[in-house]
Amino acid sequence: MINCEYLKPVDLQEALKFASQFADRARFAAGCTNILPDIHTGKLRDCVLIDISDLKELTGINREDDFISLGSATTVAELLNSEIIRNEAPVLWEAASRFADPVVRNRATVGGNLAYGSPASDMSVPLLVLDATVLVQSMEKGIREIPLRNFFVGPGKTVLSPSEVILRIKFEPLSDFKFYYTKFGKRNAMAISIASLAVGIKLGKAIEEARIALGALAPIPLRALRTEEFLTGKPVQTEILEKASEILLSEINPISDIRGSKEYRLELTRALFLRAVNNILSLK
Amino acid sequence: MEKVKIKLTVNAREYELEVYPNQRLLDVLRENLHLTGTKEGCGIGECGACTVLINGDAVNSCLVLAPQADGKEVVTVEGLGQGENLHPLQEAFIKHFAFQCGFCTPGMLMAAKALLLKIPDPTEEDIRKWLSGVLCRCTGYQQIIDAVKEAAEEMKKC
Repeated sequence: MINCEYLKPVDLQEALKFASQFADRARFAAGCTNILPDIHTGKLRDCVLIDISDLKELTGINREDDFISLGSATTVAELLNSEIIRNEAPVLWEAASRFADPVVRNRATVGGNLAYGSPASDMSVPLLVLDATVLVQSMEKGIREIPLRNFFVGPGKTVLSPSEVILRIKFEPLSDFKFYYTKFGKRNAMAISIASLAVGIKLGKAIEEARIALGALAPIPLRALRTEEFLTGKPVQTEILEKASEILLSEINPISDIRGSKEYRLELTRALFLRAVNNILSLK
Repeated sequence: MEKVKIKLTVNAREYELEVYPNQRLLDVLRENLHLTGTKEGCGIGECGACTVLINGDAVNSCLVLAPQADGKEVVTVEGLGQGENLHPLQEAFIKHFAFQCGFCTPGMLMAAKALLLKIPDPTEEDIRKWLSGVLCRCTGYQQIIDAVKEAAEEMKKC
């Protein structure tokens, strides 16, 4: 038996009120690119869908002082059409251009992709490397700011409580970093990542700062903080990068699944990491 | 389940309907409006057979919650041509034999229509990218790409 209700709140306050009222049954619905397949395949049977797709508080891509702020209901297509993203956050733009296919991108939202909590979430990897912060709100907890690197808990699980909605995602564009994003799947379009990786390096005489984010290589999308720390202050040398890739492999915990084995994913990660660093170095 | 009242335009005709909260736009088109040109392939947004236009953008109608189609303008493959006259895309598909079983054709046509609305003069690369989410299991992709290219050229002449 499927038991669904649909509510269209007039504003954010009403959306939060509905979410609080229906607690565990509440599901915020924006693009519905995950919700509808879940209903269709019987994974989701009992829910109150709270339509947040038109709430103005959750839309828009703005420059706010040093930050870029995205509404959670921003679609992936809107990211691609944004001059701000294209010029100031090319790593996010690149990931958006590799997201599913142009048709899905018209519906899928950035907030939805994060809230669904997939280990292979394609928006999380560029946003992690940008060290994004997620702004969330509920009646019970008010407004919270959560660093994205603390947001994911396990496959399909995040720190969000059922009545909490993502309002906005914000990050500094980090113009003094050079970035590289890569997604590895079975085909170019519509692929669920076997592995995805984003690297950002601030380069002076040595590596001043490094950031590495990985998707589909652990129970959650994650930052490789130990590898980043190891690289900080190190010169760019082959032995250093080899050592860094060893540390990187010890930080991930890929599974074997239909898309690739654990061993394959480990080797792939090493190759993608070295490719990313070499690409960044050749960008000069 | 309590039904939701929606008003939408499909192929330039207005409809007022009552839909289920979990209903998909695909079901509304096929079952409420009997517009069976739009096909259900995978039902989970992977194959593109159910592609239609909403306000000019291509979407998978199996991924659109029917209540969210309220106030929207939908175009399906039935609305592509005008009366007895086929759309240049449809003419080009026939000329190039751009289908075998035909099941993906409505999705291919609508994704191509969305492309030509945004990029009237697409490169082959553009066409391949824009159609990348529509699967043809007969694998007749080359003819489809040739057809879209020719349709774009024909439409420039009009």
